Amino acid sequence: MRPLDAGLPYLSVEYARRGFLQQMTTGLAGVALARMLSDDKALASATALHYPAKAKQVLQIFCPGAASHVDLWDHKPMLEKFHDTPMPGADSEVTFQGKNGNLMKSPWPFIAAGQSGKMISSMLPNMARHVDDMAFIHSMTSRTNTHGPGCIAMNSCFTREGFPSAGSWVSYALGSMNENLPTYVAIQDVRGEPPNGKANWSNGFLSAKYQAVTMAAQQPLRNLDTPSVISDEKERATRDLLAKLNSQHASLHPGNDELGARMAAYELAAKMQLAAPKVSDLSQEPKHIHDLYCTNDSNNLKASYAKNCLLARRLLEQGVRFVSLYCASRASSVDGLLNWDAHKTLKADYERHCPIFDEPTAALLTDLKQRGLLNDVLVVWCTEFGRMPTHQEGTSGRDHNPDAFTTWMMGAGVKGGVSHGSTDDFGRRSVQDVTTVYDFYATVLKLLGIDHEKLTYYHNGAKRRLTDVHGHAIDRILVS
Amino acid sequence: MLKSTFKLPARVRSSISKAIFHSYATIVTFVTFTISTQPCTADQAGDTFFEQKIRPVLIEHCYRCHSGEAEKLKGNLHLDSKAGWQLGGDSGEPAIVPGNPDESPLLASVQHLDPGLEMPPDAPKLPDNVIADLITWVKMGAPDPRTDVKIDAKRADKSWWSLQPLAKDFHQDSIDGFISERLRQQGLERNPPADPRTLIRRISYDVTGLPPTIDEVNSFVMACETDQRVATENLVDRLLASPRYGERWGRHWLDVIRFGESNGFERNVIVDNLWPFRDYVIQSFNSDKPFNQFIIEHLAGDVIGKDDPTVEIGSAFLVAGPYDDVGNQDAVAQKNIRAATLDDMITATSGAFLGLTINCARCHNHKFDPIPTEDYYRIRSAFEGVRHGLRTIATKSDRQAFEEATKPLAMEKEKLASDREKLEKEIEDRAKVAFEKLTFQRPKIDVHGTSEEFLATRAQHVRFVIHSVTTDATKTRLGDVRSGRLSEFEVWNTDNVNVALANYGSKAEGARSATAADFPDAYGPQLCIDGKQGEQWFIGSPAELTITFPQPELVHRIHFSNSKGRDLDESKVRGATPCEYDILVSLDGQQWTKVASSEGREPWTPAHGIERVRRNVITEEEVRQLKRFDRDISLIRLKIERIPKLQQVWAGNFTQPTEPTNVQLGGDPMKPTDIVVPSSLSVLNQVTPTFQLPVDAPESQRRLELAKWIASDSNPLTARVLANRIWQYHFGNGIVDTPSDFGFLGSQPTHPELLDFLSRKLIGYGWRLKPLHRDILLSQTYLQSSSFRDSAANKDKDSRLLWRFPPKRLSAEELRDTILMVSGKLQLEPAGGPGFRLYRFTQNNVCTYFPLDFHGPETYRRSVYHQNARASVVDILSEFDLPDNAFAAPKRSNTTTPMQALTMLNHSFILDMARALIERCGKELTLDDKITSSYGLVYQRSPTEVELTLARDYIATNGFENYCRVLLNTNELIYID
Repeated sequence: MRPLDAGLPYLSVEYARRGFLQQMTTGLAGVALARMLSDDKALASATALHYPAKAKQVLQIFCPGAASHVDLWDHKPMLEKFHDTPMPGADSEVTFQGKNGNLMKSPWPFIAAGQSGKMISSMLPNMARHVDDMAFIHSMTSRTNTHGPGCIAMNSCFTREGFPSAGSWVSYALGSMNENLPTYVAIQDVRGEPPNGKANWSNGFLSAKYQAVTMAAQQPLRNLDTPSVISDEKERATRDLLAKLNSQHASLHPGNDELGARMAAYELAAKMQLAAPKVSDLSQEPKHIHDLYCTNDSNNLKASYAKNCLLARRLLEQGVRFVSLYCASRASSVDGLLNWDAHKTLKADYERHCPIFDEPTAALLTDLKQRGLLNDVLVVWCTEFGRMPTHQEGTSGRDHNPDAFTTWMMGAGVKGGVSHGSTDDFGRRSVQDVTTVYDFYATVLKLLGIDHEKLTYYHNGAKRRLTDVHGHAIDRILVS
Repeated sequence: MLKSTFKLPARVRSSISKAIFHSYATIVTFVTFTISTQPCTADQAGDTFFEQKIRPVLIEHCYRCHSGEAEKLKGNLHLDSKAGWQLGGDSGEPAIVPGNPDESPLLASVQHLDPGLEMPPDAPKLPDNVIADLITWVKMGAPDPRTDVKIDAKRADKSWWSLQPLAKDFHQDSIDGFISERLRQQGLERNPPADPRTLIRRISYDVTGLPPTIDEVNSFVMACETDQRVATENLVDRLLASPRYGERWGRHWLDVIRFGESNGFERNVIVDNLWPFRDYVIQSFNSDKPFNQFIIEHLAGDVIGKDDPTVEIGSAFLVAGPYDDVGNQDAVAQKNIRAATLDDMITATSGAFLGLTINCARCHNHKFDPIPTEDYYRIRSAFEGVRHGLRTIATKSDRQAFEEATKPLAMEKEKLASDREKLEKEIEDRAKVAFEKLTFQRPKIDVHGTSEEFLATRAQHVRFVIHSVTTDATKTRLGDVRSGRLSEFEVWNTDNVNVALANYGSKAEGARSATAADFPDAYGPQLCIDGKQGEQWFIGSPAELTITFPQPELVHRIHFSNSKGRDLDESKVRGATPCEYDILVSLDGQQWTKVASSEGREPWTPAHGIERVRRNVITEEEVRQLKRFDRDISLIRLKIERIPKLQQVWAGNFTQPTEPTNVQLGGDPMKPTDIVVPSSLSVLNQVTPTFQLPVDAPESQRRLELAKWIASDSNPLTARVLANRIWQYHFGNGIVDTPSDFGFLGSQPTHPELLDFLSRKLIGYGWRLKPLHRDILLSQTYLQSSSFRDSAANKDKDSRLLWRFPPKRLSAEELRDTILMVSGKLQLEPAGGPGFRLYRFTQNNVCTYFPLDFHGPETYRRSVYHQNARASVVDILSEFDLPDNAFAAPKRSNTTTPMQALTMLNHSFILDMARALIERCGKELTLDDKITSSYGLVYQRSPTEVELTLARDYIATNGFENYCRVLLNTNELIYID
């Protein structure tokens, strides 16, 4: 039996459907073969791409709940100056949860960091060490002020469910670099799913093949383990028998490529059973690495997130194409408890969330850098929208602000120590080089070597794109 | 001057889509054809004018964006050829109307008559004399010698094939005739008939979604030996009459109409009352309800079926999609959410019934099909009054019976409640008088920190008994502690150490009023002894916090707090704080002593004080009386509850819209433009009789008229789209393989005449599906074998022309149902009713769905009865492409992944079914008989000698259970010939 060859036609068929590669009819079989043999880590630079790829993999770090730009990344001296005065021209503005009060300065000072002197919240002392490698986008805007739609928009560019997430699009475009592991992994926080849950890593209308597989330090890959009652030897015999019966069946049914594909899938599943536990076995890491990430921190939530950071690095190292790493989860009965949604008590909330996020994330970036992984890995940090510069009436928290927020990128192909776009004096609105999620992903795709206007898939009457019908890559933050 | 002369009528201008000049990037493989460009009749003067006055202007000002040389063509508009402006850009209208400057969008743009459409963009307006030349030129009839250019058509117009009336005369008179003719043209021929076993398996799955039993196979094979034709007819008739048919074909329809049982979006709350609609769909298929009737019921069942639940329930279709219920306070966001909610209904309706992507015309005229944006808002005007929600659906007599049964009880309850109220008032009045006389020695509690000191006492347990919290008495009944919160509770010993700390080794116990299933520590009492402010215990019932120290302590003070800084009054936002309480201590956890209380403190509010005094002034008799009232009232409430409720269905509610429907510029609800009235869609106005209602027509009439128009015999799309779906589910591919898109971007039919033939038949059968199924199932095309032939495949690899029956993979539901059935575990009853769940549902503001590791026997029902929540992922079904139904899934994907293999090998459900399978074949005496029996159950055939040998060898070392697990994983189980 030759399961690898048997799987080949099925992959080719899949390729033929990819609008963006339609013009490249030659050489496809070769690319598919390379992929099937899982030996081509350099696939992303294959000639079929639209641009020379700067990045091959993506690490997305997502802080759900609308992490406040004016309290973390976007320094607003005027906010300090005009603290507790009405925001000019916006008396009692009504936003998501209701009326707004006066301007409210960040509870913590900002400090200059790195060579670039980037001002960053003193709540992120460890992240501050990386600012010279980061490209901030301060002028992001969202089409919605609601968490769920906002999160899926930050993942799929659409506020409505049912569209593929960026990770799915990238999996669809570039395929796997290591067939023994999932192509796209979503690592959810120990506190639960982000707003809108699984729709954040949905394949939408793309084939289920492109949906994220969820795993985390606290949550092994589902159905991975052979039932304990079945010994290894019996399992081998089982696979042999299954392969025999299937190849016998296939020989009686020529002309059905799917039969071979399914046989190949069983082979890959067996390989995954070996590879996945290895990659998620954090005990393989030396003590100094655990210390770096703080996996043994006395704060359980921090330790848990730290383990997920470490898992993310191990997955990227093994060639997982797209890793989504979540820090915090969904809305709960108390705003700001489980995620960054600090409606009422911003100070208390962020004094919980920042320490969980800061040190492990910084450690992950340090570790990626020291291993040279940032040559291939593009790191993007996301949240669904920003927060108001004012406090919410009767509280010391901030309401939702879809008109301004910050994201950043670093790693493969990204200029360090730069900031793109800006908000007004208070951080209420993006005013200079206003940026959308379409621009954000046009940039991500460009770094991966893909023209975002050419990566398409027909669905219910339209050639769909990740970036809908919008978007321009932000060339200014890219290494030329 | 020019402006006033040439100002276009508002209607015309607003119909000029901004899209003409805007750039859209999703351009696709074009179907190329040539716009007929007649050689210009010699109009020397016109040509000269063009060459001298017009061409230079176009080159200078327009070609940069609107010509073949443009670096990036804008708005798909070419101005470097006559054909280019005749065809127009994305708006779908010619850019110039010869002889009529007023109607020419290009002229409106150069004159800056419409904001946002000014051309050339980002440049000064063209000089007046240039504009005057352009006007003159258009008045002359726009003579243009540039006629030698071919343009790729990038859209359909009303001559598009699917918009034509159904053909009447056919040159074939059977399905086989059409198929054979096309095969002959390609030099192909049909396969010979399939063998009887293959046939019965194919037909059983196709019609019912389940495999036949081995007995059914055997008797069919025998019957075929006598007369295959008759045997097949009998088989088809038997299966079409089976209730399993509706479960299979109803499920197809649920895909088409994006049926899902949670509302999606952020909260994704499960919808528990939509299953009656699912049952309605299944029953409608089983009873072969005429489909035109079925369509009308979907859109207006409540209108035509008042008091007839079996009809009224159909309109739940409108609200079976996702919608956002997050409760946004922002007015703009609210409008956008409403627009998105209606968009879901419009998209579902146009896709399911008409095969049109009218939703693509929300922001501008459809870019590829002749659908003006007004058509989108015409449908919207019909749905403007639809709201998501529960509705009571019952017959008139049921309503009356319910009313009669409940009314006397309700009256009795009311009387008791008012008597109770009177007594309460008496007590409260006395309490008020007593309260007025009271003075308080101690201040009211402070939410930021309150201490109680007491004589040093030896204790290992301290209990905080909460009687009341600082709720607003006007909003909440005092004594209801469910809004209570507590950040910290400290107990200080005489060494001045807070011993109520987790890291001191103390424990905290107490009920909580909120939980988060995926985050077990949330809201718990342990948060009171974590030494940190911020996270709070949500006080539950009974409202008691018990702290246990590692060893007895000499304690003398407690301190509780519920907030952090004092900058703002955070008590308002952190829930209520305990304000009436007792402090009890105990050494052994059995005997408790009260050491302190809120006695003597100023009450939080006068109402709290009155509540406290009330406990003293109430007499024992009054306590008894109140209890009696409570008991009597709850008894009556129980009686009322025992009366069977009228059925509440997630079928939506309807209100008369108060405002007319406007076209929204760019799909932006904040930019309303022209008013549209409820009416038929212009896209079919040359084919299907039209209707038009007044702008304020009754809501119900709007939906009914639209429904009738869609379901009309003269609407060619409705019948074609339906006939195509039927064909698709029988053969795997439709005649048009984009089943909900019969527009330009969709596929063209492989057999256009056959499609019309089937559509005519369908209408001729009174829109009943079963006769059409029968025609298809009994055709030679359907009954042929699926054998593969290289020579044929070279010409038609995917067998779209049907030289063979295309093999299929089982759908997610078929696979799961088959495994249950062959293992003898499938429960066909109850066929309907509330669905089962393969996930655990939790709600904590938003909802989370956790897939189950173990599937209990209560889940052993047909998969169509699974309560399919959106954005939930369950084992087997999701992996095998059960659609999420955020969108309609008119054609399912067919995925093969390693994750499927892991689930099929390792999930406990498969092991359970393997065990069940052994039970079924284990009764046989010999091993060979057992193996043979398992083959009969799983594949409905006998094993070959080779297979028997393989099985014996394997079972000898690995056991029968593992063997059954293998069978359930084989390709033979999952692929059908």
